[in-house]
Amino acid sequence: MTGMTFQEIDARVLKTLEPPSKRYWIAVTLLFSGVLVGAGSWAYQIYKGVGVAGMNNPVAWGTYLINFVFWVGIAHSGTLISAILHLLRASWRNPIARAAETMTVFAVCIAGLFPFIHLGRVWMVFYMLPVPNQRNLWQNFQSPLMFDVVAISTYLTVSILFWYTGMLPDLAVVRDRSEGLRKKIFTLISLGWTGTHEQWRHYTRAYLFFAALATPLVISVHSVVSWDFALGIVPGWHTTIFAPYFVAGAIHSGLAMVITLMIPVRRIFGYEKLITPGVLENVAKTIILTGLIVGFAYATEFFMAWYSQNPVEMEVFRFRAAGHYAPGFWIMVFCNAILPLFLFLKSVRRSIPILFAVSILINIGMWFERFIIIVTSVGRDFIPYSWGLYSPTLVEFGIMLGSFSLFFFLFILFVKHLPSVSMTEMKEISGHGAGHGS
Amino acid sequence: MEPAMGPEKSILGFFPSEDRAAHAILALRGTSWSVKKVLSPVPGPKIFDALNLRKSRIGYFTLAGGVIGFFTGFALAAFTALQWELIVGGKPVVSLVPFFIVGFEFTILFAVFGNVAGLIHQMKLPDYKGLVELDPYRDVNRFGILSSCPLEEEGSLIAFFKEHGAEETIIV
Repeated sequence: MTGMTFQEIDARVLKTLEPPSKRYWIAVTLLFSGVLVGAGSWAYQIYKGVGVAGMNNPVAWGTYLINFVFWVGIAHSGTLISAILHLLRASWRNPIARAAETMTVFAVCIAGLFPFIHLGRVWMVFYMLPVPNQRNLWQNFQSPLMFDVVAISTYLTVSILFWYTGMLPDLAVVRDRSEGLRKKIFTLISLGWTGTHEQWRHYTRAYLFFAALATPLVISVHSVVSWDFALGIVPGWHTTIFAPYFVAGAIHSGLAMVITLMIPVRRIFGYEKLITPGVLENVAKTIILTGLIVGFAYATEFFMAWYSQNPVEMEVFRFRAAGHYAPGFWIMVFCNAILPLFLFLKSVRRSIPILFAVSILINIGMWFERFIIIVTSVGRDFIPYSWGLYSPTLVEFGIMLGSFSLFFFLFILFVKHLPSVSMTEMKEISGHGAGHGS
Repeated sequence: MEPAMGPEKSILGFFPSEDRAAHAILALRGTSWSVKKVLSPVPGPKIFDALNLRKSRIGYFTLAGGVIGFFTGFALAAFTALQWELIVGGKPVVSLVPFFIVGFEFTILFAVFGNVAGLIHQMKLPDYKGLVELDPYRDVNRFGILSSCPLEEEGSLIAFFKEHGAEETIIV
């Protein structure tokens, strides 16, 4: 229960669509500059060749694939919040569902850029599309990389459709409360929604099916991403726990990103009555669960390496904890598995500044997790002669900065142009109605 | 032959809550007046129950999409593999397990396409005409019941709405 009337909910959310302040434009300019740095770095790489990145033999997968996995992971909690928690009738997710879904769409778009960047010769991307090339060769659908192309494309398409469908009633509210060009645009995109019982009858059913379909999809997508690694024979990758481990890690990082985004949004747009400390606390409790799963997976990997007494496997894990990249490994362990344990303390969970700091640290930890998984495994392969190290170059840092800037740039454009909190779902929990899927 | 209908009037009653709207619908069903439309700012299961609505048929579109998707995905993978019958990784040319994964992803994709197609078909979207018809009478935050009655019973229907908790009535 929000304790707000329908009119108050509309007024609060629609206020965010009013003309922005100077500070907003400063933020837009800064983030757009970051996007330009990324675009420039990528253009430079296309011009000079992929050799300007730090990837080498044996570490042929670097920050581009690390960022790919990172952004796909960020996307996952959006679907967890909008679909899985919807099916579980967890109404506390209503205030943050829209922002989380939006985060999913943008994160998948950015993730999808990285295989293009990693390709180097980006114009060869059609090799991944189901069209034959000049020699009538088709894709190899037995390859997990092709599973990935299919899974990520499906995930992006489904996320966009789910996001847009979920927004239809709210687009109509904006239409009814605006004038001029905005009214025309929202009239067009709200598709003539009037809220008749016939529309709601079909809409609630369709929304339920969306949620039911998105749930297995989200689990399959990060499982498929994990198989990019697990189906290879590289030590440290070739393990059966990767799929659940990756799914849990994805949700862990995504939930942290939801907190990272929602705390400033809540403060800047005066959403305190809608996104209550209780909502953030529930996200924090879910982070405890995913943190425990992730910590358990870390421990299991080490146990399996030790118990197998396979010298190659044991060396990879020794190298992770005590080798060249040990600081990254311990950042990963601390941020992802130990830090979330402090959220067991109510005082930590209820403190917004601490929660914000913890969420950022988890994001950093999850980035390092992908770095450790990818780099330490290929860098410490079967033959000591082929061992090697890797460090990202300025071009890679530029592209990474561009990706983060693009994500936040798109997000701040979203909060100023579309309803960032679902008015309809907030009205549902304000005491009338019982949910989209009922 | 149906009896010839005289001139009719439509009255739109606005109710402050779903409960009152549902109660009014139930009471209307015991009269000779009919419910033409119900407008609401949120999905109302109590209103659905009062109207005794059947479940939407969108699920059939979704199911059809899913079935088509599975076979499309699997067939695409098998067809492309059969173009050049190369053995890759010691697996059969048409490998069931990896192609099942492609089939699964296509199942979800096409089921969602079916779901959206069902939504468009069943809701007759985009419905800009319906918007124009209802626009002057809508109130985005109240529950509205549009009912029709013979011309001479207009006053009775308005009184009925008021008696059942309508805050406002409009002659449409």
